[in-house]
Amino acid sequence: MVKARKISQIFFILFFIFLFIRARYPYEVRIQSDLFLRFSPLMPLFDFIDTLRIDLIFWPALLILLFTPFLGRFFCGWICPLGTTLDAGSKIVKSPSNRKTEKWHKLTYLKFAILFGSIILAVFSLHVWGYFDPLSIFNRALTVVFYPLATLFADHILIGITKIPFLEDPAYAVYDFFKTSVMPENQANYQQLFWIALFIAAILGAEKITRRFWCRYLCPAGALLGFLSQFRFYERIVGEECPSCNLCQKECKMNAIPEGDVKKTSKVECIECFNCGAVCPTKYNAITYRWRWKPYHTPIDYNRRQFLTTTAGSVAAIGLLNIGLKDRKAEAKLIRPPGALPEDDFMDRCIRCLQCVRICESNGGCLQPDQIHNNIMELWLPVAVMREGYCAYDCNLCGQVCPTDAILPLELAQKKKTPMGLAHFDKNLCIPYARNEDCIVCEEHCPTPDKAIKFEVKDFMAPDGSVRKVKYPYVIKDLCIGCGICETKCPIAGQAGIFVTPENQKRLTKDEVGVIRENPNETYSSPY
Amino acid sequence: MKRRDFIKASAIGAIGVNLLPLSLHQSNRLKAQTTAPDVVWVENGEPEALFKSAMKELGGINKFISKGDVVVIKPNIGWAKTPEFAATTNPDLVAEIVKQCKEAGAKEVKVFDHTCNPWQRCYNLSGIEEKAGASGAKLTQTYDHKYTNLAINGQHIKEWPIYKDYLEADKVINVPIAKHHGLDRVTLGLKNLMGVMGGRRGSLHNNFGNKMADINSKLIPTLTIIDAYRILTANGPTGGNLSDVKLTKTLIASSCTVSADYVALDLFGHKLHQIQHISIANERGLNKFDLTKLNVKKVKLA
Repeated sequence: MVKARKISQIFFILFFIFLFIRARYPYEVRIQSDLFLRFSPLMPLFDFIDTLRIDLIFWPALLILLFTPFLGRFFCGWICPLGTTLDAGSKIVKSPSNRKTEKWHKLTYLKFAILFGSIILAVFSLHVWGYFDPLSIFNRALTVVFYPLATLFADHILIGITKIPFLEDPAYAVYDFFKTSVMPENQANYQQLFWIALFIAAILGAEKITRRFWCRYLCPAGALLGFLSQFRFYERIVGEECPSCNLCQKECKMNAIPEGDVKKTSKVECIECFNCGAVCPTKYNAITYRWRWKPYHTPIDYNRRQFLTTTAGSVAAIGLLNIGLKDRKAEAKLIRPPGALPEDDFMDRCIRCLQCVRICESNGGCLQPDQIHNNIMELWLPVAVMREGYCAYDCNLCGQVCPTDAILPLELAQKKKTPMGLAHFDKNLCIPYARNEDCIVCEEHCPTPDKAIKFEVKDFMAPDGSVRKVKYPYVIKDLCIGCGICETKCPIAGQAGIFVTPENQKRLTKDEVGVIRENPNETYSSPY
Repeated sequence: MKRRDFIKASAIGAIGVNLLPLSLHQSNRLKAQTTAPDVVWVENGEPEALFKSAMKELGGINKFISKGDVVVIKPNIGWAKTPEFAATTNPDLVAEIVKQCKEAGAKEVKVFDHTCNPWQRCYNLSGIEEKAGASGAKLTQTYDHKYTNLAINGQHIKEWPIYKDYLEADKVINVPIAKHHGLDRVTLGLKNLMGVMGGRRGSLHNNFGNKMADINSKLIPTLTIIDAYRILTANGPTGGNLSDVKLTKTLIASSCTVSADYVALDLFGHKLHQIQHISIANERGLNKFDLTKLNVKKVKLA
């Protein structure tokens, strides 16, 4: 069984990484790359709280939830890629044995507090659970930390090898293969890297404290699955021949076997790794696993006092999240991807998995994990940072991969007509206005068929009396879609002479997009 | 001097003087028959046929490409647009050029452009990746580490990063598409070579004509083939509006970029003095031929 479990873990983590790597242009895949995010058991629950409907798009998670009352937390032990990463990490950092870590065990209630607190907040339309969703964490770490690290090292090592004279040709051949087939992207650079790296480093580093620290004490998905598996039918049976050598207790990843009574198992904690059976000395072979139709019950480790504290804390958090200053100036930077729901809904639906950031054509330019401007909930939402990259006119991939439709999957024609914002000239910086010299790089790159940046040619008289013609650009609001290529390409060093604000941005709701899809001819016919 | 001698001398002299322009004329005609025109303008055909005809007029591809050459073909792949929008060089033309270079014995034919939009989309949508690739070209993105600073020592540019493969190539074929451009009305061969430049290219727009002349003086290509199968007449260089596209079915070829660009102005009805960057390049001597005495051969295919 241990072997089967390991194969399953390796299969799923490779499958998920494969989907992650495939999430890029040209996105012509049979399997939607956000499928693996929809394995998250939390998703159907919080989607239900948000919409009061059960959406079958979350079928992988629904299947897991369906089987959990019978099988227990098999997701944690067999599927979850974060769990697999932690297992690998615990081998590297050499986690201490359960004997030495008993003092941490009182924290098991924390994960229930996190889950229950998230539920209360979600009922009041504050969806914080995405920050703690294991698949979201996994994807976030892949996007911002691990994949950029891999491309950096791969690039530099291969380029380094090309400098060795006799290896130049084969190294370039490998490099070209690599850059056309495996990692065709340029190096991505993300903001918030420090905090996201710290977050994943803390989760991985906690393996030094106990094995699966995150899964034992913090993971809300584990809490939900644990809650569902209190009565699970598949049980670990310890026979009479057991001499209580405590090997299984020491080995248990989740500390689900109580030290005093190794014949018991906490069904809430057990993730069915089957390590206990594997370490049981062969001369006893006391441990078997079996279905029983009258299962015993393990209560969850979450008492009334903790419940009341969580409730009070959550209510206070709801209040606090609503009374901060809403500085309109800070909103100038809240440019969301095209097709994003209205800001409040967007915050609720987005799970901060950063799959949109990953697939963004600018690859580490335009879409970035957001920082906190006014509201802590803005953290790690996708935000368009136009100076570093722009929204490619022919790209609508972010909406295609959003697992929760926080970014609606717009048709390309519709996306091209959905403004993200509006460009404004800063005439103190813009070269024609500030220096009376030609430039109009912005006009050159403006992608709308009828250019949203036009220019007026005016005579300028220089101090020496000579007259020259200068092109002074301006923006036409009705044509500008706020894609930001003008801001990206502006040749001034540092701050650009043109910038995009959320003015004129169009946020769509699911219903609006539905209507548009039913009448394609009406809305898609180009006015140009 | 005797009278007879005088008459003889006069007669010979008169004949000689009369014959002199004739013989000069004769020799000019003889020269015209053996040497190729400066610029060829071929119209009314498909891209492949246009290129074949132009090469025939210029004396064949073998005149430009030798056996074992590493050839760089630099089309305009700058924008993520399909060919019918005339924002990128015609893929059939690029494929045909690749094919002929290969037939002429080129060791390797590289095709690339420093794109303005994301390169994968540009290479893909333009059709150049597929068609030039099928003809045997090696298509790669332009890698940041392959730009090397080239000493320009011009009036305005002292040095500029240029793509290494371009500088190391034995022969270079510059294949722009004729397009409208807001900055200086048109973008043709001279501007197309911005696609081998790195650095902060946008800053070249400021004092564009002189900077182009500076850098282009170090990048003279072997051949310039201007694709005017479709031309973009407004909202360039990006386009996107089919009503701005004109089907002109023309190709202009020359071993001189300035001359080819100058002749291509006819497509748009512009005069040389209206286009700053081409006139400056001409004034600064980047032209191989005298634009006022240009020998242009016009061919109309049936």
